[in-house]
Amino acid sequence: MDREPTLRRKTALSYKTEEKTVMRGYNLSDMAEEGYSFYDAMFVLFQSRIPTEKEEKMLKYEMGVFLEHSMSPSAVGAIGVSAGRPNLPVCVAAAISTFGGVHGPGAAHGYMLNKYLERGQKEGKTVDEMAKTLVDEYMDSGTPVMGMGQPQHIDSDPRAEPIHLRQEELGLEGVYLEFQRALEKYFHARRKADGRSYVGVNVVGSGNTALMEIGFSPNAGWCIGSVVRGFSCAAHALYNMKKGRAWGASRNEPMVQMIDLSMIKYVGPKDRIVPKQEERQEYAKKQKEEGEYKQWVI
Amino acid sequence: MGYLDQEKTDALNKLKKERGVGNLDSEKNPFDYHAREYGTMPQDGKRAPFQWVSEVAYKNVHRIVARGYDTTELMEEGYGVIEVLFVDYQARIPTIEEEKMLNYIMIMMLEDGLSGPAAISRIVAKSKTFLTQACGASIMAFGHAYGAYSSFGNRVEDYIKKAEFENLTLGEAARLLVQKDGIDEALGVSSLMLKDPAAKRMIARAEKLGVAGVNIQFMKEVVKAAQAVSSEPVDIDMLGATGAVMQDLGFTPEATWAILAITRSFGAGAHYIEEVERGDLSRMGQQLTPREDYDGPSDRSVPPLKDREKVAQSAICKTPEEWKQRFEKMKEVRGSGFSIIEEVADPSKKSGMKKVGKL
Repeated sequence: MDREPTLRRKTALSYKTEEKTVMRGYNLSDMAEEGYSFYDAMFVLFQSRIPTEKEEKMLKYEMGVFLEHSMSPSAVGAIGVSAGRPNLPVCVAAAISTFGGVHGPGAAHGYMLNKYLERGQKEGKTVDEMAKTLVDEYMDSGTPVMGMGQPQHIDSDPRAEPIHLRQEELGLEGVYLEFQRALEKYFHARRKADGRSYVGVNVVGSGNTALMEIGFSPNAGWCIGSVVRGFSCAAHALYNMKKGRAWGASRNEPMVQMIDLSMIKYVGPKDRIVPKQEERQEYAKKQKEEGEYKQWVI
Repeated sequence: MGYLDQEKTDALNKLKKERGVGNLDSEKNPFDYHAREYGTMPQDGKRAPFQWVSEVAYKNVHRIVARGYDTTELMEEGYGVIEVLFVDYQARIPTIEEEKMLNYIMIMMLEDGLSGPAAISRIVAKSKTFLTQACGASIMAFGHAYGAYSSFGNRVEDYIKKAEFENLTLGEAARLLVQKDGIDEALGVSSLMLKDPAAKRMIARAEKLGVAGVNIQFMKEVVKAAQAVSSEPVDIDMLGATGAVMQDLGFTPEATWAILAITRSFGAGAHYIEEVERGDLSRMGQQLTPREDYDGPSDRSVPPLKDREKVAQSAICKTPEEWKQRFEKMKEVRGSGFSIIEEVADPSKKSGMKKVGKL
């Protein structure tokens, strides 16, 4: 059996021989036998270190609370893909790939905090001052402040404050929590002063703060959050694959299905006649000249 | 929007009919193409409106609930990812021993060096993508050979059921399995772990924790059956060990497939990060393919377009014999797809949700 690597690379993450698999110097089998947790292993993977017990507990909380979120873009993506009945991993891949600039943008939140912390250090400003600067700059320019607001949990994300509280209870307050708390304080004050409604912290704002505090980089934090969500999305896809209708359009189901024809609302150009090839050139030129099509360009 | 009114519909259809549109006048068409409606189907008021139906979880403005358990309350009570996996996939809280066992398996699945998932993640990383895109792609590496938990597990389930219904011992069922399918990529027995004790240690840990069940028992018989017929040394491998233990923990083959592929994806995320940290980006057209790796047709000149009819070879076969001849010939054209058979089956086994949604 060919056991050559698919890709040859210098790597500081792991090696694998016929005898063992070693991650950051630790034999994985020995780690499991010794009784370390999966959360411990995540610290080894991303930070090359064994965490303190409190750090391990914090990660356990954060990952656990983020795992399931019922119908979010990720679960809906997985369910949508499952309608065609591909192999299950495809549904999960789609679910994880939904995490971008708006859905669970953990890396963006992390980079935002890092950027202002670094700037504060250069400019000799306190964490509190930099949090206010961030809020003012973002809100003045109309840029959404990462980690604030959730379209479904409009009174503040039910997971968010409990994460902050657990971080404090575990005594893991550091510069990130100080920054995030200050950011929230100035954010709420600014919205109030502007006469705008209350917008609470979301799970990225609090969860990613905790992840950064316990030493994960923005991208590592993003990986942890988006991949752990994959577990529940797979369950949602699997439920639909095993107990739901393929295609999602059956007219025999008592409930209108996800992509039943009646679910389509069309707001594009009106039905029109397809030009014949001999009419095409003149038709196309006229269409370009009139420019009506431009309103539909996406 | 709904349908266009009848008068306008008739007028537009009449105009099109007069102009003629290709073959749409043909009587062979299953319906009159010049009597079709315009616009979208009106909403269905007779059936219940569409909702996202789930047995797994719901949420409202103030809580998220999985299988009846509020997820924030679960965390506050000291549970974590491992327990929520049991909740989501099995609607139950695991015993401490089961939690320890799944924890063990997930550590083992986190990293596997530069195997498929890591390689894919790194290749995607070089295109300057989001990390999540690479993590998602890594999961695509799990199929019916690499990480073949669905194929492995469903077959194990089938043979255990066969033993039960046909009153066979597990040993007899295992011998039947090996006799029928041989030592294939989904057996869970191979030469891969002869020097690495990790798979056997996992089985021993399951037994020590008291979570070993019929799947592990059966796999031990499969190992014996495979060793009896194999010309080379073989033993239980990571697929066999993790798959059997996961099923003894109550996870279905598909749940196992998903959970372990996702676990590996955390590692793939680290590979993405390292690739970005260490490597250059890849541009379209950058990679060369050495001439010496090419074994297709020799270089040939492109015929002038006017000579197309002289050099073109039609694929139309008028008889089954011609068809068969061409089919066999095409097998020699690598990359044409004629020498592989991929049966695309519905992996869901069962469909239908008629118990919900009635008005």
